Amino acid sequence: MKKTLLLSVLSAALPFLGAGCAGTGAHYVQTGDQHNIVSLGQINIQDYIQAANDMTGKLLASGALDRVANPPAVLAISRIVNNTGQQIDTDLLTKKIRVSVLESGKALTTTTLGLGGSAEDPMAKGLQQENEFKNDVKTTRTPDFTLSGKIIELTARASNTRQTTYSFQLSLTDTKSGLAVWEGEKEITKQGTRSSVGF
Amino acid sequence: MNPLPLLPLLAVGALLLSGCKTTVNTVENAQKQGQRQMIPDARVITDGNLARKVSIVGVNQTMTHGGMLQVQVELLNQTRSLQNFNYRFEWFDAAGMQVNSLSTAVIGSTIEGKESRFISAVAPTPACKDFRLKLIEN
Repeated sequence: MKKTLLLSVLSAALPFLGAGCAGTGAHYVQTGDQHNIVSLGQINIQDYIQAANDMTGKLLASGALDRVANPPAVLAISRIVNNTGQQIDTDLLTKKIRVSVLESGKALTTTTLGLGGSAEDPMAKGLQQENEFKNDVKTTRTPDFTLSGKIIELTARASNTRQTTYSFQLSLTDTKSGLAVWEGEKEITKQGTRSSVGF
Repeated sequence: MNPLPLLPLLAVGALLLSGCKTTVNTVENAQKQGQRQMIPDARVITDGNLARKVSIVGVNQTMTHGGMLQVQVELLNQTRSLQNFNYRFEWFDAAGMQVNSLSTAVIGSTIEGKESRFISAVAPTPACKDFRLKLIEN
């Protein structure tokens, strides 16, 4: 009798418990919040956001971008080395930094100068060259700084527990001196036996 | 009822509990050289459970070299066990409008038993004048 009563109470409580958590059906979640999936073996979107957020904050706080003769500074994106075991698009990190830096008003990013002479926006580069030829004036502003970096993956395992550390490293180099005027590193470590939802 | 069969279970339970309860001892210079610029804060507590476990000690702010508002919040774990929590900073301009940026990302964090720790953030633009910190229990 008691067992039946207990089962009835539990059965009634289950839907309420389930209602409080995310369901299994497809639904929208806010990117980067505590309801996002946390994977052990790969970099999640919240990791990119956290790394970009942390390093942008430190970069802006350092005042390194303010030390130019003609503000705002011009920034060019150099090589971001992917030393992880997965294929990633480094723009997931650099674009967020670029957006934040641009919004801060501290620097502008060039899209006509890229690594190895390639332009991110070839059309803009073509038009710029055309304007320079027509007006016989050089308008291209040499970048004050370049941003380079590396993403490193470090894994460890003890019994069924896996741990992955992602190290996001960035260097801001003054193009006149060739010296790194700011460097940032953000490490994110995830541990568990399987991927899950939430932090 | 013979309590003997329960003894191993109780022993394991006690071990598990002791493993979760690690508190932090600290030492620091008694005569501080730095002076924190503490600011009055307004708190809204909707999760009393979290507030009892991870409490806000104080808030101080400063301006960075780049002219950005930097905020630091001191948290204290009132319990003797490790606590997980998430936090998020939101920023507002002089007109009180929220500045949407990457800085609003939720960050997962932990705090050891009886530990006091600081979380800080830099405003995404010089236009940010106010902030709000949200703490969410994990």
